[in-house]
Amino acid sequence: MEAGSLALTQVKDATLQHDSEAALLDACRRQDVGAFETLYRQHGSKMKSVAYHVVGNRQDAEDAVQDAFVKAFKSIGGFRGDSSIGGWLCRIVINASYDVLRKRQRETALIAEPERSGPCSSMRMAINQAMKRLNPKHRMVFMLYEVEGLKHTEVAAAMDIPEGTSKAWLFEAKRELKRMLSEVQK
Amino acid sequence: MIFQCSDLERALQSEELMPDAIAHAETCTACRKQLDEWSDISVAARELHEEWESPSLWPRIQSDLSELAPERRSFRWWQWGVALAAVLLLAAALTQVWPGRKTQPATDQASEDFLTREALRDVEKSELEYEKSIERLSTVAGASLEKSSTPLAAAYREKLVLLDSAIADLKSHMDGNAYNVYLRTQLASLYQEKQSTLKEWLENAKSN
Repeated sequence: MEAGSLALTQVKDATLQHDSEAALLDACRRQDVGAFETLYRQHGSKMKSVAYHVVGNRQDAEDAVQDAFVKAFKSIGGFRGDSSIGGWLCRIVINASYDVLRKRQRETALIAEPERSGPCSSMRMAINQAMKRLNPKHRMVFMLYEVEGLKHTEVAAAMDIPEGTSKAWLFEAKRELKRMLSEVQK
Repeated sequence: MIFQCSDLERALQSEELMPDAIAHAETCTACRKQLDEWSDISVAARELHEEWESPSLWPRIQSDLSELAPERRSFRWWQWGVALAAVLLLAAALTQVWPGRKTQPATDQASEDFLTREALRDVEKSELEYEKSIERLSTVAGASLEKSSTPLAAAYREKLVLLDSAIADLKSHMDGNAYNVYLRTQLASLYQEKQSTLKEWLENAKSN
């Protein structure tokens, strides 16, 4: 069985154990470790990618996801369920990633060069480079919405901003990227 | 709405206007180019999602979370200790108050609070039976509890010591207050707690 379909099966199995998000949330609030495993199966991949885009390498990204789950476990009682749990987890992993990044920067006094993974299309490489020059908040909205496929409501919850601001910053990010890419092409 | 080239920027910020923009782009080369570039960014962005296998990540997280879970258990032990202390303090306070009431004329309420001699004999008999059955359970559970060196077993032993000490204290208070319904109820609930603790340990030992 391929890794992707195995992961999908695991998510389906996990979802069967908690037949709704409300039931899953209740189990998480009781600090049931199995319920947190379900959350990991559902959101772990996205969380790793979000963390990767902040810290720049896989090892630190995994450390950030680990820290994020510990924080989520401790603070699940404070999550009221007004937003989706995916958005809430993204918010925690973003903060955890910045903590890891700060820690690494203190340890090495250097900003690590991001790892390169796999073959890159020229457009992908160009966007990756251009993204680094974006306003950090605009970059984060672009990354969550376009790269990770979050909805604007989830981006808003993850970044603690109004939904309209998420839409406006996404537009600014894309307009700026388009300008930078057309400069590269000239 | 009649869509014009100048509306394109607004359309890029609003999903509602996008169908009109796409329809307009079918006949407008400049707008189609703009829309294509906009869409190319979204398509390329999706490729930036990083995916890799992390077989050791969940086990690491699980280990962290499992370490946190026993903290809650020990907190419950601590809460239990405080609750016991509160019960004992209350019991001690009541034993100071009740002897004074004995000299007062009996009222209907007082006669309800204190047991008659005959009822007391029945209660004491039942208590004795109950105590014996719990002691039998204690003998069964005690052997495996003493053998185990896990932190969980230590926590159970600690709780049982607390319960035994609370039971002994209450009994000593009851020596001069044999008819006190409140103290007898407290004693019964302590025995109940001891019984359920022993049962819980036995179930735990069985499942492991």
